[in-house]
Amino acid sequence: MAEDHPTREALEGFMLGNLPTSQMREVSSHLLRGCPACQQATAELWEPDEEEDAIDIPRLSANDVTGEDFEEYDAVLDRVFDQVATTEAMASRERVLGRELFDELMRHPAARQHLLVSNSVRFRNRMLCERLLEESHEAGFNDVARSLDLARLAVSVAGQLGVEQVCGAAEQLNGVHARAWAQLGNASRVNGDFAAAENAFAKAEAALGDPAGAGLLDRARVLDLIASLRRAQRRFAEASHLLDRVSAIYQKLGQWNLLGHTLRQKAMVCSNAGDSEAEMTLLRRALDLIDPQEEPRSFLAARHNLIYALNASGRSREAFALLFHTRPLYLKMGDRMNLLRLRWLEGLVAQGLQRIEQAEAAFREVRDAFVEMQLDYDAALASLDLAGVYILQGRVQEVRRLAEETMVIFQSRSIHREAMTALLIFCSAARQEQAEIGLVQEVSGFLKRARNNPDLRFSPPFS
Amino acid sequence: MSALDHPHIEASLEQFLKRVRPRLKVLFARYRIPPQDTEDILQQALLALVYQRQVIRDPEAWLLGTLRNKCLLYWRERRRKLYDAVDATVLELMAEPTPPAQESADLRRDLLNAIERLPERCRALLSLRYRHDYDPPELAERLGYSPASISKITNRCISALTRYLTGVGIPRK
Repeated sequence: MAEDHPTREALEGFMLGNLPTSQMREVSSHLLRGCPACQQATAELWEPDEEEDAIDIPRLSANDVTGEDFEEYDAVLDRVFDQVATTEAMASRERVLGRELFDELMRHPAARQHLLVSNSVRFRNRMLCERLLEESHEAGFNDVARSLDLARLAVSVAGQLGVEQVCGAAEQLNGVHARAWAQLGNASRVNGDFAAAENAFAKAEAALGDPAGAGLLDRARVLDLIASLRRAQRRFAEASHLLDRVSAIYQKLGQWNLLGHTLRQKAMVCSNAGDSEAEMTLLRRALDLIDPQEEPRSFLAARHNLIYALNASGRSREAFALLFHTRPLYLKMGDRMNLLRLRWLEGLVAQGLQRIEQAEAAFREVRDAFVEMQLDYDAALASLDLAGVYILQGRVQEVRRLAEETMVIFQSRSIHREAMTALLIFCSAARQEQAEIGLVQEVSGFLKRARNNPDLRFSPPFS
Repeated sequence: MSALDHPHIEASLEQFLKRVRPRLKVLFARYRIPPQDTEDILQQALLALVYQRQVIRDPEAWLLGTLRNKCLLYWRERRRKLYDAVDATVLELMAEPTPPAQESADLRRDLLNAIERLPERCRALLSLRYRHDYDPPELAERLGYSPASISKITNRCISALTRYLTGVGIPRK
C-alpha cells in the first residue's frame, strides 16, 4: 500500500544514518518486507563503491562547471573559502611568531627551555612545534643530542596545545602529537636507544589511532619514521610493509616527490636485506620521481646509492659511467661531506675496475679527512677500505701499521663496544699478518649495519 | 633558511581555490555528499593544507586525494550507523518472546529468505546470531574464527544483508 511506504526524505535519512532510532527501525522493517519501489530508491542512494577508489575527477575549468548541476555546493564553498582566507592570514602570523619563539627559546639553557614551554602560555604555539620538529630532524644528521633535546621540547609544546591552537580541529591536533612523538622516536633511534624509540612510537601510533583520526600526510610521515626503526632493528619485512603503506598514501595524495623519497627508503631496506637487484630497481624508480632541481640533495643521495649498488654488485663499468654524469651534482652541492662521499665512491669504483693505485689514493685522502674531522666511525670504514687495497697488493706491513694507527685513534674516542670489538678482531689479525680480504669485508659490513644499532653482536667469519 | 620559510603556494591561495573550485564540486557530487555535510569535510582539508603546505608539493593533487579519503570515511561512518540500525531491528524482531502475529511471522520469513541469499559464511553466521542468539565470542568459537576478527566478519555480513535489503545487491567479495 502506498501509504505504508517511507517518504523519500525518510529513505534518504535512513541511508545517511540520520533518523531517530525508532524511525531507523521502521524503515528497516519496511525494507525487510522486500518492497521493490523502496529498494530501488535506496539502491540509488548508495555512495560510489570504495573499490572505485580512483574515481576520476576530471580537470575542469570554471566554465565547464558553472551549470545548475552542482550549484547546490556554491554557498558552502563560498563560506569555507572565506573562512580559509582568514585562517591563512592567521597561519602566516603564527609562522612568524613561531620563528620568533623558537629563537627566543634557543637563547635559554636547556632546563629553562622546558620550564618555559611547560609554564608559559606564550609558547603554546603550533608553528613553534613545527619549527622544533624540523630543526630536530635536521640536527639528526650531525648532532644527535641536539636532535633529542629539540624533539623533547616539541613533544612538550605539542602536549600543551589544545584544539583552540589548531583552529578547533582535533584531527590536526592528533597529527601534531603523532609527529612530535614520532620525531622523538626517530631521534632516539639515531641515538641507538631502541627501547626509548619504541616507547615514543607507541605514543605516536596512539595519537594516530584517536577516534578523531589524523590526516593521511601525518600518518605517512609517522609510518615512514617507524619503518626507519624497523630497518635499524633489521626487521626488514615489517619495514618494507610499512613503506608500502606510506607509498600507497603518497600515491593517493599525488605527492610524487614524497613517493620518490619513500622508494629510496625502501631501496635501503632491500640493500640491508641483501637484495641488490630490488634495491637498484627501486632507486631507478625513485630517481624518476625526485626532481633534481627542487631537491638536489635527495636526488644526489639516490644517485649515490645507485652507483654504490651497481659497483657492489660487480657492475663497476656502469657505476663509473653514472659517476661521471653525477660528479657535477656533487661539486654543485659543494659541502665538504658531499665531496668526501664523492671521493670515497671514486675509490670504491676504481677498486671495482682494478685501478688499485687510484683507489688507494682516494681511500687515504678520505680517511685522513675523516680523522681530521673527528668522524671516527667514517674514518674506521675508510681505513678498512684502505686496508682491503693493501691486502690485495700483499702489503701486510702496511695493513698492520694502518690497524695500529686506527686503534690508537679510536680507543680514545666514543665508538660503541661491539664496533670496537670488531675493529679489535681486525687489528689482532693484522698484527699476526693474517688479515684477509674476507675479514676486512666482514668487519666493514658489520660496522655499516651496526652504525645506529649498538645491540648488534659481531661474529667473526670462520677462517 | 628553513622549509617553513618557503611555502609552495605562498600568496596564491585565492587563485588556487578559484582554480580547484570546479573540481571540488564535481568531486562532492560524484561522491554524493549532501551539501550540508560538505562544509566540515572541506574545511578540515583546507585547514590542513594551510598549515602543512610547506611539505605539500602539489596542493591540488593533495587536496583531491585528501577529500576523496574524507568522502570515503564519511560514508563509512554513515554506513556504520545504517548497519547498526538494521542489526538492532533484526535482533529486536527475532527476540520477540510472544508468539508472532501474522505480520511478524511474515517478517521473520522474509528475513530468513534474505539471509538464504547471502554468501555461505554469512548465512551461517547470521542464522546463529539472529535465530540462536549467539554472542560474538560464541560465534567465533562455533565458526572457527579468531575472537579478534569476529567483529569485522560480523560487520561484513550485516553489511551484505543491508545491501541486499536496500536493493544494491550483495558484493561479490
